[in-house]
Amino acid sequence: MSNKPGTAGRNWLPLPVGSALIIIVAFILLKSVRPVIPHSVILLYMGFIVLGVVIHITLEDTRIRRFWDFFLAQPGEGGVLKVQRLAMLALLPLVAGWWAYDSVRPTYAPPVEIFQRHPTVGEATLAQIVVPPWALVPANWRDSDIAAGKVLYVANCAICHGDKLDGAGSAAPGFRYPIRPANFRDAGTIAQLTLPYVYWRLTIGGLQNQFNSAMPRWVAAPGDANASSLHSNDFTSDEAWQVILYLYRETGYTPRAE
Amino acid sequence: MGWTADADRRWMPVAGLALAGLLIAATGPALAQSAPIRDYAEPALIDSRLAVWVAAQLHLDFAAFVLAVPMFALAIEVFGWRMARRDPAGAARYDWMAHEMARLLPAAYSLTAISGAFLGMLLFSAYPRLMAYMTETFGPTFVIYPMFFVAETIFLYLWYYTWNRLQGNRKWVHIVLGLLLNIFGTIVMFIANAWATFMMTPGGVDEAGALISLYDAVWNPGWMPLNVHRLIANITFGALLCAAYAAYRFLSARTEAERALYDWMGYTGNLIALFTMLFLPFAGYYFGFELFAYSATYGVTLMGGVLSWLFIIQAIVIAILFIGAAYYAWLGLLRIPGSEPQRRMVPVFNVALIAGFMVWATPHSMAASIEESTGQFHPLLGALGLMAPKMIAVTLILVVLYVSYLLYRRAGKVPVVPWARTGTQVEWALIALMALIILGLGIYGYFAPADIRIKTSIWQILVLIGGIVITFGIDLALLKGAETRAAVRWGTMPRRGQYILILLAFVIVWLMGLMGYARSGARLNWHVFGLIEDTSVSAGLPTLGEAAIVVTAITLIFFVLLGIAFAISALSGRDTLPEFGDEAREAAA
Ligand code: HEC
Repeated sequence: MSNKPGTAGRNWLPLPVGSALIIIVAFILLKSVRPVIPHSVILLYMGFIVLGVVIHITLEDTRIRRFWDFFLAQPGEGGVLKVQRLAMLALLPLVAGWWAYDSVRPTYAPPVEIFQRHPTVGEATLAQIVVPPWALVPANWRDSDIAAGKVLYVANCAICHGDKLDGAGSAAPGFRYPIRPANFRDAGTIAQLTLPYVYWRLTIGGLQNQFNSAMPRWVAAPGDANASSLHSNDFTSDEAWQVILYLYRETGYTPRAE
Repeated sequence: MGWTADADRRWMPVAGLALAGLLIAATGPALAQSAPIRDYAEPALIDSRLAVWVAAQLHLDFAAFVLAVPMFALAIEVFGWRMARRDPAGAARYDWMAHEMARLLPAAYSLTAISGAFLGMLLFSAYPRLMAYMTETFGPTFVIYPMFFVAETIFLYLWYYTWNRLQGNRKWVHIVLGLLLNIFGTIVMFIANAWATFMMTPGGVDEAGALISLYDAVWNPGWMPLNVHRLIANITFGALLCAAYAAYRFLSARTEAERALYDWMGYTGNLIALFTMLFLPFAGYYFGFELFAYSATYGVTLMGGVLSWLFIIQAIVIAILFIGAAYYAWLGLLRIPGSEPQRRMVPVFNVALIAGFMVWATPHSMAASIEESTGQFHPLLGALGLMAPKMIAVTLILVVLYVSYLLYRRAGKVPVVPWARTGTQVEWALIALMALIILGLGIYGYFAPADIRIKTSIWQILVLIGGIVITFGIDLALLKGAETRAAVRWGTMPRRGQYILILLAFVIVWLMGLMGYARSGARLNWHVFGLIEDTSVSAGLPTLGEAAIVVTAITLIFFVLLGIAFAISALSGRDTLPEFGDEAREAAA
């Protein structure tokens, strides 16, 4: 698109063709990235790229003129230019047609779901969770509790969350993207959360209509109709607290203050 | 002259008083507490929450406009007044622009009052129990509020309608009137903010919600942050709407002189908006910080939970705002003859800006269908969606905007200082160095642990600010006494630039609606967070799609109403336009 003014529409790569090429090449590049980039994100990127191209063309009056002049046949123009113009004129309806087809074509994929990192829970629910005194202050955590927590973690959680607490357990690749066992070393997980929240997340939260967590719960809430939990190794509440303390001690984070 | 202006004058205070009357009429029975109070009612025949949502947001939009415009219009008026002795023509022009910005106020003010009356009426009739509680808690402020409101009304009309009379020696009286208007307007907003933030972060009450200290209820944890955030955002908002108004007048102008003036007004509005917009993220962090400190639930809801997706939409919309503003600025080079050397640089900036915003808007985790599932975070996007690359992107975007501004300053000028050539080279080398350091810090931060990463991002901002201060100093010295080869030719901006201004106004109104929803929705199922639960049928949050539709509808209604206000203000006839002389143009640039 480095056309010099004055050669309006007569050079080898006219402005509209150059613009179309940029858009097409960008699209193909984005599409060929593996693992695939989700459609929604490609749409976002292409929006920006098209915007950039439109801005470029409309920044100068001469460029706008050159853009439109290309579509008008000039006497004595070369065959190359003519072919390009016809190609561009054919391209637009083809793209529109493909777009229309693509949006109505039947697909068997379930609807896209929006992933929430931390499901929302009411203040009232959290207020009911009482942190036992021995778990309250990080400085007073007992080594025996941490050690017990480690045993529980390795037995129950490591398969998903990984031996190193980095979310890379051996079962992790089986999860449907973008949901993935949390990487506790990432600053975006437990470091952001309060003790009652983590407890809620582990024992009550997750499998509810708002948020289909992929993680099983570890305690059946009393009187809950869904109490037949998905597994057999429920924790007592003390055990749940021990695991949580282990998560924090091992990663070096402290719970967020309430 | 003009009959509409007079009509305005007559029914405006009436609307204000009507609102006050309504409030008192509605609070009266609630205070008396004679009959048992129902929890909910549906006076609007549609879902009450929807009705209140629309009324509240419309009221907020108009109020924001009415509050903000007198602030910068007064600043411009004072600016013109100060230069009156040096440059009477220039002073007249600034005075004209301030007046022109204020022109929409009477009509917009009436719409503020009407939408406020609607909101009050709806709230009291649809949420009797909640409003009885609010009245009990905030009773005295409900009495003071209308008084300040009336004071604001009086000074608004005084300030606006005495404009031509109080010129010359008596200009200072007019400035004082404007100052009082701003003070009363700010107080009115602060009082209303107390109610809104009390519902988010209640203070000054005991666990059952009984009032202990009205002072603490007003000065609750969220109050100051929201005051600051709204003050700044209002100015961005008002300035962009004024710019859109100027664009509209530019497009419908019949003479060169008119076009020149409105071009200049649109440019100024856009500049004010861009400048204030730079502070908004910090005000937003301050507000968010206080909210999170108040309750971790807010942190979870806003940043990781249901409402976190609004912030991704916000990122994209902000990108559009900045790209639009930059495009407008680049088009502005066309106003300056002989700016070809500068214009040649613009395509490079364009690429940098677009690439920067693509990184900035990349979501960390995203909506993907099962066919796109990979079983892990996307290696490429997961990396781009992180804090460090985004910080690089944002700071480099700011560098690009800054350099665009430097080019604009340089266009059409020839430096006269002997060291101009080396100076320019040093300046550009410094800017390149600044960009490199920012990039390097970002890459280092990317691989460093979180606590160091936060430090590198602070350093990035410090390098940016330091670099701007140094290079701008050089630039000032360089262009000292520079010869002007061609002055800005106001009025020659292409029409598409004006449409951009209108688009930006639309975008900011929409964005304000969206984030207003985020602020209000963050309370989830609480009217007053932790104290009064929402047990109505519509307690749940709408889906993002529904929320976006409502916000869009509100934006459309707002513009239809504002359009009517535009039309009314245009009816009052055109003032005589000030001259746009050569030396004046120079000063304006
Ligand atoms: C079957 C795999 C699996 C097992 C076993 C598992 N988790 Fe999880 N966990 C997940 C997934 C997946 C997520 C994140 C997404 C979700 O909830 O769907 C998660 C999220 C979490 C979170 C929330 C982090 C945040 O940022 O909100 C915590 C805390 C957690 N797990 C703790 C544990 C503990 C403790 C154990 C062992 C007792 C455990 N998990 C066992 C799969 C698992």
